[in-house]
Amino acid sequence: MEFLEAVGKRRSVRWFKTWEPVPKEKIQRILEVVRLTTCPGNLQPWRAVVVERDKLDPKVRDQLLACDNWQGAHTQAPVWIYFYADPEGARPETFATRTKELVDVGALPAAFGWNIQSIEGAIFQNETMPAGMPAINELLYGLPYEMSANVAYAETVGACAVATLAAVNEGLGACLHMIAAPSKQEEAKRLLGVPESFVPVWQLLIGYPAEDPDAGGMRPRLPFEQIFSYQNWGEPFHRDAQVVADLEAEGLAQPTGEPKPYRFDELKYLARMFGYPV
Amino acid sequence: MSATEDRQGQGPADVQAYRSIQLWMDVVNKMYHLSEAEWEGRLQIMQQFCEAEGKDPDEIVAEARGDRAEKIDYMRRLKRFVKTLTPNPMLAHDYENIIRSFFINNGARVVTKPYPDVYNRTQ
Repeated sequence: MEFLEAVGKRRSVRWFKTWEPVPKEKIQRILEVVRLTTCPGNLQPWRAVVVERDKLDPKVRDQLLACDNWQGAHTQAPVWIYFYADPEGARPETFATRTKELVDVGALPAAFGWNIQSIEGAIFQNETMPAGMPAINELLYGLPYEMSANVAYAETVGACAVATLAAVNEGLGACLHMIAAPSKQEEAKRLLGVPESFVPVWQLLIGYPAEDPDAGGMRPRLPFEQIFSYQNWGEPFHRDAQVVADLEAEGLAQPTGEPKPYRFDELKYLARMFGYPV
Repeated sequence: MSATEDRQGQGPADVQAYRSIQLWMDVVNKMYHLSEAEWEGRLQIMQQFCEAEGKDPDEIVAEARGDRAEKIDYMRRLKRFVKTLTPNPMLAHDYENIIRSFFINNGARVVTKPYPDVYNRTQ
């Protein structure tokens, strides 16, 4: 699938063909894409546990579902990918290690001032970085653990977004979901064997859609010129109608917010099929 | 004998006259346009539930919305009630869903679950 088509087709799918398993090869293909997500300093703090619902011990399965309040999509999706962020993945020491790797392969050019001594000096001795270099001393020297956790979390959210597109590219339905109610996050970690230090991010539910992903309409989006400025905040980036038309032709659907006429009928029959109240 | 126990088996004369029932029907019909025949069946179940509780639907919803413990208790009694209607677990689940729909569309948040075989599958 072309990139724009994947972005345009993506919807949060909330009704899955519970009976149709997802081939393991497709799961791996998604994970392979996630692994290549961009990240500052190449930190890669994302960690994930892939769960195939029908291979779980029923007691554990029900406990994980209860952690998430028995949300409908969760019960139906045959595969649950639990994403966590590892704060250790965003510690200054990790940044030092990862950036040294980038210097070694020429990704961080010496021409800009990157070298192993200056990286270590900035991160561990608070040495001021010269012009042309990022102020990594201010960013990383003495970085509190909580900030590392925040950075790791933020970067893992990005990986989750990439995972969603990768799932769409595989012809699957996908939905980012909370892992558990806040009061039950520790229980979910315990059930999954995840280290206590890991920060919960999202779980990605995947499966074959039982609903028409288009039937609910393209979700409403904020106006383009409200969110994008040019040169100065508040000066709208002018939106060229031809560019929009070209993107649509290339597969990037544009928001209408209009569900198809049969959408509520579809929801009624899906609810009946799965045994939900109408 | 408590006032509630006094009234059990009595229920309201016609549930459709009650505000909570009207609201339920309006909200559901706005989305799903259920037939008269389907509503007849639903209202019958609702009537029987009210009789079992000895309360009218407005009272039931007010109690369930006002007190979480009371709401949870209603759900427990609902499970017992549907078993008096049918031994068939799928049908009992459907009857429960009628009352759950009533609660949900009247703002009393209740847990909903699908048929167990939706998620209780092994490979």
